[in-house]
Amino acid sequence: MTENEFDINNVADQPAENVTETAEPTAEAIAETIADINTSAAVAVAPISAPAKKEKKRKKDEYRVSNFDIIRNYHRYTAKEKKHYKYLFWKRIASYVWPFFRALIIFGLSFVILYPILYMISTSIRPQSEMNDPSIMWIPKTIRFENFAEVWKAINYPGTIWYTMVLNIVSSVLQVATCALTGYGFARFKFKGKNFFFALVLLQIIVPVQIILIPQYSQFRYFDIFGLFNALTGDSLNLVGTNFAMYIPALMCNGIRAGLFIYLFRQFFRGLPKELEDAAYLDGCGPFKTFISVMVPNAASSFLTVFIFSIVWYWNDYYVSSMYFNDSNTIALKVNNITNIISMYLDNQVGVATDYVVWMEAACLLAIAPIVIMYIFLQKYFTEGIARAGLAN
Amino acid sequence: MNDELEFGTAAGSDTPKTAVELNKQTESVPEAPVQRVSAHNTAAAAAFNAANEEVDIRRRGGEKAQVKIKTTKIPYEKKKGLYGYGFIALWFIGTLWLFIIPVLTSLWYSLCDTQLLAKADALEKGMTSAGIYTEWNGFKNFVNAFTVDTEFLPKLGNSLGEILPNTIVIMIFSLFIAVILNQKFRGRTLARAIFFLPVLIATGPVISVINGDMTSQGISDASQFSTLFKTDLVTELMEFIGIYNINQTFTDVIKNITSDVLNLVWNSGIQILIFLSALQTIPPSAKEAASIEGATAWEFFWKITFPYISPMILSNLVYTVIDAFVSTDNQVMEYVLKQSGNWEYGYAAALAWIYFAIVGACLGLICVIINRFVYYEND
Repeated sequence: MTENEFDINNVADQPAENVTETAEPTAEAIAETIADINTSAAVAVAPISAPAKKEKKRKKDEYRVSNFDIIRNYHRYTAKEKKHYKYLFWKRIASYVWPFFRALIIFGLSFVILYPILYMISTSIRPQSEMNDPSIMWIPKTIRFENFAEVWKAINYPGTIWYTMVLNIVSSVLQVATCALTGYGFARFKFKGKNFFFALVLLQIIVPVQIILIPQYSQFRYFDIFGLFNALTGDSLNLVGTNFAMYIPALMCNGIRAGLFIYLFRQFFRGLPKELEDAAYLDGCGPFKTFISVMVPNAASSFLTVFIFSIVWYWNDYYVSSMYFNDSNTIALKVNNITNIISMYLDNQVGVATDYVVWMEAACLLAIAPIVIMYIFLQKYFTEGIARAGLAN
Repeated sequence: MNDELEFGTAAGSDTPKTAVELNKQTESVPEAPVQRVSAHNTAAAAAFNAANEEVDIRRRGGEKAQVKIKTTKIPYEKKKGLYGYGFIALWFIGTLWLFIIPVLTSLWYSLCDTQLLAKADALEKGMTSAGIYTEWNGFKNFVNAFTVDTEFLPKLGNSLGEILPNTIVIMIFSLFIAVILNQKFRGRTLARAIFFLPVLIATGPVISVINGDMTSQGISDASQFSTLFKTDLVTELMEFIGIYNINQTFTDVIKNITSDVLNLVWNSGIQILIFLSALQTIPPSAKEAASIEGATAWEFFWKITFPYISPMILSNLVYTVIDAFVSTDNQVMEYVLKQSGNWEYGYAAALAWIYFAIVGACLGLICVIINRFVYYEND
């Protein structure tokens, strides 16, 4: 129970207690009774020179009716008091019992969440031969860190991570920048057809990427700007397999879950005070300069939140990128294809997943490690920033 | 320290004068911003009327500046609107090119027989390069989906039957967890960190390892994860207490809900996050008032928490439904992807559109129903 509630309890006790002692609770009568209690208690309990803290606690105790008192005196209360003390009684009981329940629920569910990860760690450090050993549950008989070394080499970990990071960060930066621009446009300007355009944004959130991916693919396979490349080189540009297939949608504000980010930014910018901009306009800034120099610094935390989400989703995406990258370059694609990669590396043949579980688990751990490390450092922004990002409006 | 001393001496010597001075001192601090704001307001109003009024503050620049302003005939409102178009221009071009055209193309595919052709064949058929050859066949794909295809309709029914109860369970569960995580207790930060971990992982390929089905290579041993939590906890618990077979349908319903705790917890990360952020917007004053009035926790939840977060319940519901419908684990989605994997783009597109239409109808219905109960504070 928090201190706040504690105080409120005592405040709630006080008038009821006075009612029991005085028939007509005028202000004077209450003051008298309190004074009486104070003097009598002061003589009995503590000398005046006691520390202030102790004094405070003593004063608190004076007006406190314990649960035992309530039970003992219950038959003497009037109907109104009965209701009041009943409420207090159950509230106290709940405040003692609830933390246990809460701890139980949180502990249990945390276990469910952490179980796969713990199991992943446990399996990734054992030899494959101990995988089917029924006598081993958590701690393997022999600990084998070579699994990680082998996976490291098989998926070319440093190279893959570097490639994924560059791809993710560039895409996310582009996406956050353009989505912020668009969100600001929707939040602060009145123009014809705004509702129609915003309905389009909502449609973007709702329509699954699977529906539009194949036509989108042909846009990139035969990339052309008004037939310009066709005229120059005789053939359209093939962007499939290059990073531009990810960068261009991000730049055009149509990257992974862009609709959601536009929505978030719009909500956030709507929440900022208008005076900020008026000041900038008066100083002679154009709308774009106002946006850069006034709104962006004010929205820094929300930018960071959206950026983190963007990074996470780009990091985890394997559906869109599997369409554009034929050879699995990113870490998500490698994990998605891990059985083949590992079996080719170790035994030079395509194997079955069940024979390579330990390496698979090791690869999963390696894949989520960078993002979990990022999460540990930026956890605050992840959980608290989103409230400020205006999602709650 | 210095201030206090001054105050002490001043109070001793001549009180009225210093009191006024003190007042002035304390007032002078907030006074400046107040003035500035009011200046802004009038100046903003002035700028607002720049085009057709004489009170433009930029006139100070001399005759030339004034003439320049008068020549721009576009009113301020309209000019701002034009800037609005400028801000969304990039998005609009991108959406036109990467969203609207693909959506229309896919709609077109759904009405056609499609064939993927190499360049030589494509040139024969009169196309400029290799690609998807389309030939209009009316609504044959749609008719086929309902009449010829024996797999599609049962799958559609199944996935609708699975998703709707799951959504309700996820909503209740995530709201409950969010309420718990919003309370003050020791280790709250850690608990929050753990509960949001699925958000990081569940969207990636790692979740398929956790769920134990690597789609390409059959079932791995990692299925141990989910089987552990799929055991019949409820029945075991009841047998442990000593109750056997009270009511078969009752236990079945509870079993279905509780048997999948792992999936439940791992799928509701974002929902918890959204609810938590909504809960944090409830003003503390509301809580204090309720506490003084003597509201129980139960009353507090239904009378205060619930109305405050009801807009977020709607958004969360929409998000959950979309997420479930779009996820590739979904039977219909799997089937559609299988069709498009077999190069049957036209048929796959038709299936996807039917599916999408049903999802859209469901969402519309949900929104209309829920919207009656949503309470918007600003209205």
